[in-house]
Amino acid sequence: MAPPRHNQIVVGVDTGGTFTDIVYRDGGIRGRIKLLSTPDDPARAVLEGLAKLFADRRPDLLTYGTTVATNAMLERRGARTVLVTTAGFEDVLEIGRQARPDLYDLEPIRPEPLIPASRRLGVAERMLFDASVETVLSDDECRRITQAVKEAGPEAIAVCLLHSTVNASHELRLGRALKDLGVPITLSHALSPLAGEYERCSTASANAFVQPKVSTHIRRLAQRSGVGRLRVMQSNGGTIGAETAGREPVRTMLSGPAGGVTGAIEVATRVGLRRIVTLDMGGTSTDVAFVDGKAPRRSVTEIGGLPLGVPCIDIHTVGAGGGSIASIDAGGALRVGPESAGADPGPACYGRGDLPTVTDANAVLGRLQPRHFLGGEMALDVERARAVMKKLARVIGATSAEQAAAGILRVVEGNMERAIRAITVQRGEDPRSCVLVAFGGAAGLHACGLADEVGFREVLIPIDPGLLSAQGVLDGRVTMDGIQPLRAVDPSFDLLTRRARGPASAIRREIAREGIAERRIRVTTMLRARYLGQSLEIEIPLTRSWRRHFGAAHEKLYHSHAPARPVEVVSLRLTGCGEDARPIVQLLQPSQAPRIRRPVVEDQVDVFVKGRHMAVPTYRRDSLRAGTRLRGPAVIIEYSSTTWVDPDFDAVVDEAGNLRLHRARNKGGRS
Amino acid sequence: MRPRLSPVDLELFANRLIGVADEMGVVLQAAGFSPNIKERRDFSCALFDPRGAMVAHAAHIPVHLGSTPLSVRAAIQQTRMEDGDIVILNDPYAGGTHLPDVTLVAPVFLTDGRKPVAFVADRAHHADIGGASPGSMALTTDIHQEGFRIPPVHLCRNGAFVRDTLELFLANTRVREERLGDLDAQVAALKAGAARIRDLMTRFGVTAVAQAMQELQDYSARLVAAFFAELPAGEWKAQDVLDDDGAGGTDIIIKAAIRRKGTRLEVDFDGSSPQVRGPLNANLAVTTSAVFYVIACLAGRRVPANSGMMTRVKIRAPQGSVVNCKYPSAVAGGNVETSQRIVDVLLRAFATALPGKVPAASCGTMTNVALGGFDPFRQRYFSYYETVGGGAGAGPDRAGANAMQTHMTNTWNTPVETLEAYYPLRVRRYAVRRASGGEGLHRGGDGIEREIEALAETQLTLLAERRDRGPYGLEGGGEGKAGCDRCTRAGSDRAMQIPAKVSLLLQPGDRVEVATPGGGGWGNALGTTSHAAGNRTRHKNEERSVVKTKRKRA
Repeated sequence: MAPPRHNQIVVGVDTGGTFTDIVYRDGGIRGRIKLLSTPDDPARAVLEGLAKLFADRRPDLLTYGTTVATNAMLERRGARTVLVTTAGFEDVLEIGRQARPDLYDLEPIRPEPLIPASRRLGVAERMLFDASVETVLSDDECRRITQAVKEAGPEAIAVCLLHSTVNASHELRLGRALKDLGVPITLSHALSPLAGEYERCSTASANAFVQPKVSTHIRRLAQRSGVGRLRVMQSNGGTIGAETAGREPVRTMLSGPAGGVTGAIEVATRVGLRRIVTLDMGGTSTDVAFVDGKAPRRSVTEIGGLPLGVPCIDIHTVGAGGGSIASIDAGGALRVGPESAGADPGPACYGRGDLPTVTDANAVLGRLQPRHFLGGEMALDVERARAVMKKLARVIGATSAEQAAAGILRVVEGNMERAIRAITVQRGEDPRSCVLVAFGGAAGLHACGLADEVGFREVLIPIDPGLLSAQGVLDGRVTMDGIQPLRAVDPSFDLLTRRARGPASAIRREIAREGIAERRIRVTTMLRARYLGQSLEIEIPLTRSWRRHFGAAHEKLYHSHAPARPVEVVSLRLTGCGEDARPIVQLLQPSQAPRIRRPVVEDQVDVFVKGRHMAVPTYRRDSLRAGTRLRGPAVIIEYSSTTWVDPDFDAVVDEAGNLRLHRARNKGGRS
Repeated sequence: MRPRLSPVDLELFANRLIGVADEMGVVLQAAGFSPNIKERRDFSCALFDPRGAMVAHAAHIPVHLGSTPLSVRAAIQQTRMEDGDIVILNDPYAGGTHLPDVTLVAPVFLTDGRKPVAFVADRAHHADIGGASPGSMALTTDIHQEGFRIPPVHLCRNGAFVRDTLELFLANTRVREERLGDLDAQVAALKAGAARIRDLMTRFGVTAVAQAMQELQDYSARLVAAFFAELPAGEWKAQDVLDDDGAGGTDIIIKAAIRRKGTRLEVDFDGSSPQVRGPLNANLAVTTSAVFYVIACLAGRRVPANSGMMTRVKIRAPQGSVVNCKYPSAVAGGNVETSQRIVDVLLRAFATALPGKVPAASCGTMTNVALGGFDPFRQRYFSYYETVGGGAGAGPDRAGANAMQTHMTNTWNTPVETLEAYYPLRVRRYAVRRASGGEGLHRGGDGIEREIEALAETQLTLLAERRDRGPYGLEGGGEGKAGCDRCTRAGSDRAMQIPAKVSLLLQPGDRVEVATPGGGGWGNALGTTSHAAGNRTRHKNEERSVVKTKRKRA
């Protein structure tokens, strides 16, 4: 198929727990839509959106950010998975690294393994560290284990054998033997070529656990939508083809959040900001990341306390979002989240839920306006929200529904503040030198509160903040990672380039298969090296003077280097990046209109602020032009989101259309 | 006096200063050579004020908590440190804990300074420090048999190694390259820490950072005082025993009385056994660490670990006892085993003060396994050390966790794939020891079973506890299953039980299997436990009857 041309329809989709966001480019035209998610079949909302936007036309390219994999893992609602592992090591998945997560917790907890002991089966075989075979995997044993796996009734299978990264033949053999059972199989060495049996086993198990659900979902979406090409966003901020994503869904675990960070970096870079904290608040959770110019990466991440050895953007998630449910705990404290009303039944004000949520609190306080919610496409039942809030007020001894609602907001903002401190202050970075980039449907309602608590110097709210993740997904580049294990001591530059050649062309081929022109594919090779005998590798670019760079990098990181000591190159890491040809369009709304500095008040609404009711002006975001300045309190309404401007804050629209909020000079908040 | 830091600045500085210690840990682990450092993370890093009081300790290994300040104090008192100097020490009778824990201390100077503005220290457990057997956890009867003893001396001057010290150190320990690599990493971590402190002082000013160092200690002291104020008035006692000392002595008593006096606490170990012949003696540094740890747990997770925590605590430990031993007693296991029992006793005493809030005993041992000898495949000497986790005690809120490092240690395991790539050893089995946790409303966690085969002639030293009697249950919960260790000789299929403290020469093909204790259960299995006041009496009686039984045994 030909690559997408300029006049084709290119779509980005971000499916969240509550909303499904779609943005598109159709030649020079841009558009978007936001729909309620359909958690029982997430594809339904996507199809409905595509039908509304394009009627009978089919998009040429759809890039998809999905939470299907993550939710299946977190909610432990994946496939009935069987793990096949070297006999005697069936409990590695449960023992982990033996360490407890919190040193001073007298009652330490560890997450349950994804696969219970009864479905962790040992196979008689043994590989050694030098790739030699101690116990051959016999035909009889292959048959026996295949039978045992079959009897366990698997919907998916993970295979992780000791030392499979240095000799994969037994894993491959089991892969062939188990194929007849007709269920998807994950082989650990192919997915995560990391040494260390626990992390690799955890990655393979998670992949197998979510695979049937994800691959079926992606296949059906491709068929039913009839799109020319489907790609999926990965946790590392790049995209991959649908087939790869269906086979290795563990790579997409943080796809939505990665899209958000990618989108936020684009917006910030355009207005010259480097140090930002991204706050992506959706219906069920909030993701925060610290960015200094580019998104920090990690090679192992944890989801729900379980390690996954695939590359991803360094993102911290808390279970606090618009749909988070407020309740009283056993100790009599008001808790908000991590339980969420999700899309079904949703917050009380959506008409079906019976439990008070953060969104209900905003509605009761008047910050969310019923007439303007989602451009009026969705009705908000404020009275229903008030009723559940009154109930909560009685339980917590608050005097009114408004008081209870204000309490919920204080708690949920405290939760988010803690997450922000974890990624900044705890890593020695001062958030007061950062700009908070707030997006996601609900972030604009809490940005001022957080800026006050944490002390950000400024808040930036991009246009269509509720759709920024989808925009980041749309803008994602096809990215493929490859690792070439090497283990060579003091290798020559020629040897290294020779060894990189094979994997580089494999990556090029795979990216080209995504319909990308050869000249738009760039492959960079990094080498991971260490002094012989050392533990962790340092990553440096592959160049003729790599040895000198290694010494310099070691000096910078560890304050020492030894020019004479042998250096071991452990592996080559290749990253291929392919970009579709794209029209040069101004992605943000250009400010063509003459500069109108005085904003037009659209309405006056009643908002409960700091203990009393106030008449607060509302503005339509699309009526605010660059240079417009307004004072809080104010409610700024747009299609995908609402921004609350605290009485202590001023708002200015910058040249790119972003809202920039600052604490008003003469009013001074907490520092 | 300068005004106090605002709550925001206090929080920011707390995290910055703790961040210095954390970052040192990241460097030490990454640059480390031995699996014991890079995989198991058996090390700690800390930051000190110019007086030598601990300001921040990265959450690494609790048993190093209270002892690192004593090392820094010894280095300050016994040497003269200039800019670029590093002092090394491990002597348990001069600021150390047990010989394998080698501590490095460095002063931090500003470019134009004459006095240090801070100290940084790191302590790493070296997999060998000489002595009677590889791994230096030998079953000996005095300190000199245990290994190479280092009083505070200069390891570096002016930024370079002092050749005399380094060569003397390397000549007296096994596996030279590994020792050198780990020492290099320790030095790198100190340099990183010093650089970070200088950064902070440049960014925020020397006085502001100095003030923050003091206020962070005050803050911890206030939090601990608030916890003490919540305790009921009175005195709570408990005792427990160590199985044996590996040299003939059995049922070694650890006894503690805790008294609250206003917002101060006195912890009195009067009545504990005199120091023993075998290597189970704890010096005061180790005992202090155990007290530190228990207070940090009970006072809540938000108390930053520093010297401020201990300003309101008075420890009385009789000189010459197993919890405050005198030269030249052997101490290898005091740090790793006796420390765990001290925690068991302290928690049990606190359980009477705070009924229904304290968990049952965890496995109560680190199950130390040291293996070493000549590796014919790689043509070099090797020395490998590991500790094996066990079951955690069940608590009022939930069952105990399975197969985990508890209380005074939190080292990671060495991945099987790494272990086998480095040493002539093969792991045969690594499993959860099912049904070893104590019964109860909440079950104790299960222990671990681990079997290792020697591929070459290998000297094994095993040093483990809770093999005679399992960890106690609380509030009606049952005891965890005691540990059990066995050896299967090559060619035989019969496993023989071996003592928990033993030194054995393994031949190629011999296998040793350790099975670690489960945690104690919590609450009556019938679910009748309640926290009502009436039950407190029952609990006290139970306590007394346990004490009585123990006396009989002793």
